[in-house]
Amino acid sequence: MSKKVRAEGTFGIIIGAAMMLALLLAGLLIPWFGKYGANEISADQLMSPSRDHFFGTDMLGRDVFARVFDAVFVDIGTAFTGVLIPLAVGTIIGTLLGISRNRRVNSFIGSLIDGINAFPFLIFVIALVAFLGAGLGSIILALSLVNWARYARIARTRAVVVNQQGYVEAARTLGYKPSRILFRHIIPNVSSETRAYALSDFIIVIIAVAALSFLGLGVNPPQAEWGAMIKDGANIITLAWWAAVFPGLAICWAGISVAVFSEGLTKRIGEGNQQ
Amino acid sequence: MSKRDILIEVENVSVTFGSGSSAVEAVKKCSLTVNAGEPIGIVGESGSGKSTLARVMAGLQPPSAGAIRFRGDNIFKGNKSFQSGNRNQVQMVFQDPYGSLNPQLTGLSAVAEAVRIHTKVGKDEAEQKALELLERMGIGKLDALKQPRQLSGGQRQRVSVARALSANPTVLLADEPTSAIDQSAQAQLLKLFLGLLNDGLSIVLVSHDLGVIRYLTKRVYVMKDGVFVESGDTETVFNDPQEEYTKMLLASIPGELGKAARAKLKR
Amino acid sequence: MTSDVKLLDICNVAVGIKRRKRETLVIVREANFDVNYGEMVGIVGESGSGKTMICRAIIGTLERRGASVIGGEVLFEGLDLRTINEAKWKTLRGKVIGYVPQSALAGPNPVLTIEKQLAEALSQVEGTGSMKNRSKELLDLVKIRRVDTVMKQYPYQLSGGMRQRVMIACALASKPKLLIADEPTTGLDVTVQSQIMELLREIRRDLGTAIILISHDLALVDEVCDKIVVMHAGATVEVGPTASMAKPRHPYTVALNSSRIDVAKPGGELLIIKGNPPSVGQWNPGCRFAERCDYVQQDCLVGDHPALSGKKSEHQSACLHSDKIGKI
Repeated sequence: MSKKVRAEGTFGIIIGAAMMLALLLAGLLIPWFGKYGANEISADQLMSPSRDHFFGTDMLGRDVFARVFDAVFVDIGTAFTGVLIPLAVGTIIGTLLGISRNRRVNSFIGSLIDGINAFPFLIFVIALVAFLGAGLGSIILALSLVNWARYARIARTRAVVVNQQGYVEAARTLGYKPSRILFRHIIPNVSSETRAYALSDFIIVIIAVAALSFLGLGVNPPQAEWGAMIKDGANIITLAWWAAVFPGLAICWAGISVAVFSEGLTKRIGEGNQQ
Repeated sequence: MSKRDILIEVENVSVTFGSGSSAVEAVKKCSLTVNAGEPIGIVGESGSGKSTLARVMAGLQPPSAGAIRFRGDNIFKGNKSFQSGNRNQVQMVFQDPYGSLNPQLTGLSAVAEAVRIHTKVGKDEAEQKALELLERMGIGKLDALKQPRQLSGGQRQRVSVARALSANPTVLLADEPTSAIDQSAQAQLLKLFLGLLNDGLSIVLVSHDLGVIRYLTKRVYVMKDGVFVESGDTETVFNDPQEEYTKMLLASIPGELGKAARAKLKR
Repeated sequence: MTSDVKLLDICNVAVGIKRRKRETLVIVREANFDVNYGEMVGIVGESGSGKTMICRAIIGTLERRGASVIGGEVLFEGLDLRTINEAKWKTLRGKVIGYVPQSALAGPNPVLTIEKQLAEALSQVEGTGSMKNRSKELLDLVKIRRVDTVMKQYPYQLSGGMRQRVMIACALASKPKLLIADEPTTGLDVTVQSQIMELLREIRRDLGTAIILISHDLALVDEVCDKIVVMHAGATVEVGPTASMAKPRHPYTVALNSSRIDVAKPGGELLIIKGNPPSVGQWNPGCRFAERCDYVQQDCLVGDHPALSGKKSEHQSACLHSDKIGKI
């Protein structure tokens, strides 16, 4: 056997995962062990970054460093849930649609999916959140209601193909129960596509969550959250650039880590598929 | 002459796809019997309906007309097949080796799953049995642990056969099993089938290649545009074809067989 | 009267892929054969034997896959194809050297009508008459009837056999001297296969085109080719005129011959080749067929892979013990 060569894409996978893990770890540890609380108001308003306040302080004298990392789980957590739910729901509904032979159901839900997908994502979400009332819960709900259709469309197309594959027919011929065929054979092969989409969707949703908060539709103050912090900081950007820039960098960091990871993964899978 | 055990009876089966003006009749009133211990072949070009007929026999496609029975029982009740528990008895191997295995399962997992479901044994015992079955098919332990994409076309076909055999079937339908693989892999697969025949399995071989049919089967049905144009003992049809179409099929076989057939045509 | 310059001369050609960190994966170790003008040569081998890579070397599409010729000479009419640049390739590829891909894989561009497809191929070449007429002539050449209908159709409306004919027509647009047909009938019905083979024979006869036919099917190649090249694990193990190859001198060819369905007795003994073809790059020392060989001796397992005996254009074999074949 030739010397083991490191598979392509490993670099990306490791770097991306490391970046995200670092962020999450910081989000866990800094609120516990950091010098300042995220909501600690002080008289040291708008101080520029220093050894005491790494990222400076905001208009209310709160330590930006502490706030940026306090927001990690809020932003990433919301984004994660906002991807996970549509992924699960969309994959299952799309798959069921793809394998169903009931023309009426197919056509009805199919139109629903196409209808939802026709709307520009962000605008639809903003409208829904505005309707449901601001808050993280609403954001997650709105994302779920809109995004499931995108996953469903991918899942449906793929399910049609998978359903016709020899191994699914073989499973039927072998007398496997329909539930087994669905969950062990069809869905895993359909979800490979939807999971790939989820990774790139994650990046978009991270930004969407921040954007919604920027518009005032997200968290309630005083909870730290990147979008809200940028909104507050935007007003004073010339006075105190650090208040808006650092949360912005955090969003970039999160997005880049997922992007790099996803690239590495694609390369890895791509190599496996080369015959 | 002892009464042969009749396994599958196809009686005036027709299969129509689509409806109205765009309806296509893939199979038109075909009848045949599969007897125990008598391997049969269905030969025809693409579009002849042979694959559709095979799928009807495997219970994957309900006929639009006619009856199909396994050991006397109707296979289909409405659109559902094998409701009386005979599902195991008729298994199928498909043409495309690249789609016939779940890309996410190793050969071992795929066969072990089938073994577990059909014999209700524990996980370890199922894996053991699966390894034995794969070994019989010429797939060693190392290869059994590989993912399908790491296996050659011939190897994938053999894993598919192992999986089908886990159900302990009486009849194995093989739809163009050799069409997408190398000549040497074809020989391996056919030799395997021969061994299975000798072990008592009944095989229905569907192919466009009469050379392959001749090697393995005792009776052959020549199909064209959904109809059987000729049928009979394989050797007889080979040496003394009656229909023009059969003669043309014979003349197309690559190599010596085709040469001989073409020489006869010229006479 | 023999011409000094062969149309194609493959001498000890090696092809490899450069991986990261200066590692080279060798896919073809030693390919050796030649093609004379107007000759039909069949290259037979299992997957992984290197037969397709060699043809990519001849047509110059190795670069795209990160591969390159790493040894030997690829001489086309005396010109070493290793030394030419892309500009020169453009004058050869698709013009003097034609290529027909595997039927199952590629095919005509799905979004172009047949007419547009042919026009594209013809636009590379000079000719007299309107594009439409020249296109019709090409379709005639490949024996497609109802030319007017077919011209307006899209590939999906044609059968596999028809699509292959269109691909052959495109390749013939420039009246190439050499046509490489890479598994042109794999996956097609035998009836279509025999028609395409007949077509190739006619092309060779009427246009004088030399044809390289790549296949895994020895029976097919045996029927139509003047010369057979057998490849195994990246090397040419036997090559010779078809008539002479009826008595093979390499155990691999013997095994391939014995596994032919067309010569097997129904239900009778069908010899199969033990084991599997070695994966690309995973080659043991000595003869790479040794572990699957029925005639293996001790000296087959060590040293370098045996070289081809004899002279080009004769019956050559890369077996140390070819004299023992048939005498076991």
